[in-house]
Amino acid sequence: MGNSIGLMFGLPGQGMHLHLDALSLLFVCILLPQTVAAALAGMRGSFTFWLFVLGMALALLAGDAFTLIFGFELMSAASWLLVMQGDARPATLYAGVAIFSGACLIPALFLPVSSLAFVLIALGAGAKAGLAPLHSWLPRAHPAPPAGVSALMSGGMVKVALYVLIRYAFVNLAPAAQPWWGVALVAAGALSVLIGALRAVLEVELKTVLACSTVEHVGLITVGLGLALYAKATGDAALSGLALQAALLCAVAHGLFKPLLFIGAGEVKHATGTTSLNWLGGLMRGMPRLGALMLLGAACMAALPLGPGFAPAFLLFHAAIGAAATGGILARIGFSGLLAVLGIGGALALAAAVRLIGLGFLGRPRSLHAAAAEDLRRGPYLAMALLGVLCTPVALVPGLILELLNPVIMLLAPQADAPPLSYAPLTLLLLAGLAALAAGFVQTRWGTRGLREVAAWNGGFGRPPAWLPFGDPHTQASATGFAEPVMRLLGKGLLGTTLADPAERFLLLPLFRLQTRLIRLAERVRRATIRERLAFVFAVLVAFLLALGLGQGG
Amino acid sequence: MLGFAFAFIATVLHIVLCFVGAPLVTGIINKLRAWALGRRGPPLLQPYLHLARLLRKITLVPDTATDLFTFWPLGAFLALAVATMLIPGFTTGMLTADAGDYVTIIGLFALARSATMLGGLETGFGFGGAGAAREALFGIFAEGALLVLLLAFALLAQTTSVDGIATAFRTAHIGISVSLGFALAAMLAVALTETGRIPTDNPSGHLELGMVHEAMVLEYSGRLLALLDYGGMLRLLAWMNLIGTIFLPFGMAQATEIFSWPGGLALWAGKLLVMAVALSIFEVSRAKMRVFRVPEFLGAALLLGMLAGVFLFVAARIGA
Repeated sequence: MGNSIGLMFGLPGQGMHLHLDALSLLFVCILLPQTVAAALAGMRGSFTFWLFVLGMALALLAGDAFTLIFGFELMSAASWLLVMQGDARPATLYAGVAIFSGACLIPALFLPVSSLAFVLIALGAGAKAGLAPLHSWLPRAHPAPPAGVSALMSGGMVKVALYVLIRYAFVNLAPAAQPWWGVALVAAGALSVLIGALRAVLEVELKTVLACSTVEHVGLITVGLGLALYAKATGDAALSGLALQAALLCAVAHGLFKPLLFIGAGEVKHATGTTSLNWLGGLMRGMPRLGALMLLGAACMAALPLGPGFAPAFLLFHAAIGAAATGGILARIGFSGLLAVLGIGGALALAAAVRLIGLGFLGRPRSLHAAAAEDLRRGPYLAMALLGVLCTPVALVPGLILELLNPVIMLLAPQADAPPLSYAPLTLLLLAGLAALAAGFVQTRWGTRGLREVAAWNGGFGRPPAWLPFGDPHTQASATGFAEPVMRLLGKGLLGTTLADPAERFLLLPLFRLQTRLIRLAERVRRATIRERLAFVFAVLVAFLLALGLGQGG
Repeated sequence: MLGFAFAFIATVLHIVLCFVGAPLVTGIINKLRAWALGRRGPPLLQPYLHLARLLRKITLVPDTATDLFTFWPLGAFLALAVATMLIPGFTTGMLTADAGDYVTIIGLFALARSATMLGGLETGFGFGGAGAAREALFGIFAEGALLVLLLAFALLAQTTSVDGIATAFRTAHIGISVSLGFALAAMLAVALTETGRIPTDNPSGHLELGMVHEAMVLEYSGRLLALLDYGGMLRLLAWMNLIGTIFLPFGMAQATEIFSWPGGLALWAGKLLVMAVALSIFEVSRAKMRVFRVPEFLGAALLLGMLAGVFLFVAARIGA
């Protein structure tokens, strides 16, 4: 596929060009359902929203560097406006990161094919995708706008940034590819997985939890991309195919379930007025449809078998094992560490998903608002149902989806040759069905039917008093309490007691101090007296003449 | 064709034996534990009677639980049942061998764990929440250790399906290597945690502050508790099968050769018995550790798993 069209407007004398190939088609396909869903969820009246979508589509379909940058910056600017409509506080940080990413990308697109261009692309696209260590803006900015926009930012915008990274790292800069490019991406991805998954367990706001989980999934995709880049540079055909399959399938799955979860979070906010897990609970009773859809989304987020999230994780684990089997002792140690990080990240994601469902939707309500919540409105229901239905093929026939991804993989790594997928969800489903039949038979043959509703036993404690209809909220695990063991053993070590993101502590804070120091310096220059200024000019003149004289004399 | 029929029969035999025999294994372990402590112990068939009694009882549902209360035990049971079907027991080459990738099995255990955790959070009372939070913590290190272990197995066996690992370890001359020793220690630590045995959890504790697994199923009764308890028995057997298949693959039968079955079955029973004796002796000689010491225990397993992979590299270099 190589269809190009020129547009009648754009740079004078050059115009703008659109180009559609397998890679852009894949990302357009990822973008399309979530755009429809976000529009259904109540964003279709907003002009800025459509501008945002237009920017993303332009960036994906760009045939030249100018169109790409134009679309990318249109996307950044429109999303900045949307963030500002929701919450002005993170908007400044968001704009700063967007400017940084533009400042890295624009020179990179016009540099010759070299490692410097790759570094700039990785910095620019990585900052926009929320790749560690440039991720700390994401958990602040993504929850700010309305749910439909959050959904598209988490599901779509980070994918556009990753698209730019893939397009340049695998296609445009391919002649200069080095193995260390892949290693650098793997390291950044592994860091994102660890920090994102850990913060997803510890955060209390529902939307922030989801945004942290986005950081984790961007990390997973980047680990896959990095492994593929490494394998492509070292000429390992099987590994590059496997890793690319993992990365692209993960992008597809994430583009379906993350918008679903974000739209659901918006509905929770609409129904209860809060998204803090410490004020929710028992929503499954008042909002059964939302609860069922969120359960589906959470199962994907946790990469559980029979969900759409498992096949990518499965492929990624196998790719990491394949990478650890090749190379020297350093590669062995490094990729073993990567496996450990992926395993720990997966279990942390599971804990985060269980916490989201268990504390938000099960148990007793923690506030009257949560107890009185009404179910989904029509638009968001349709949006979530659409995404949920689309999750099904990814969950049950991942092999078929991988077949569809083949042209993209051929485009990115022509020699790639992945082994067939050895995860068979339909077989597992069949076996589970057999076990369920057997259990049902035993139950009807020998069991006693019927359920009787009683007060909870609760280890023998008495019933709560009448003025507490759902019992004492303090006798139920809170979101903070559920995360306390993890906080105690991992959080304090990696994030510190204040729960600040390490990127903020080690990157943003020093930058802020540097800025303060520079401002003080500028202020001193501004306040210099006339004598100091004259003395400075004189000193410079003397130094200049000395240098000149010494240069000519010597 | 005949080979397929034999493989089918072997698979069915394996599944039936596992599902019927799981309570017996638990009964044997309980009996051995009691003997080691100088008591007479419950009869061997006590777990069957326990399940039958629970099935006959009326199932109570707390009024604070949601509609999904009955769903979690079923989910946990189904995940464990599928895992049990996938892990080979007395024979290799079963029909389920292709689906039984090691990563899939880890995923199924994780699925069962998450269903149990959600069941614990369902009622919204303190014990269930505390148990689920601790289970989540243990799971983090256990899953990391299990994945790292796979590296050592995959490097030695050149495959990641449990069946393939067993075949490779049985036929190829692997010998006794330092890496496999480390891997065994790590696997045992994870297995003890996952099955809720001493030293990380007390299988016979019922109402104490340090309990983990029992805390999550506290509100369940009747047939739902039977499902959960039976799932626990299946999980113990599945883990014994997994360890037996990977570390003691000698004498396993071939599914397509019917004459190798009796030997395989006898050896399988023998291996399970040896593991049951080892487990009960280990359990009565150790004390339960504090909840927050368990991650250190599992962290050591994680490091051992990484060392196993690294030592394999060293061993390959020096030609040992």
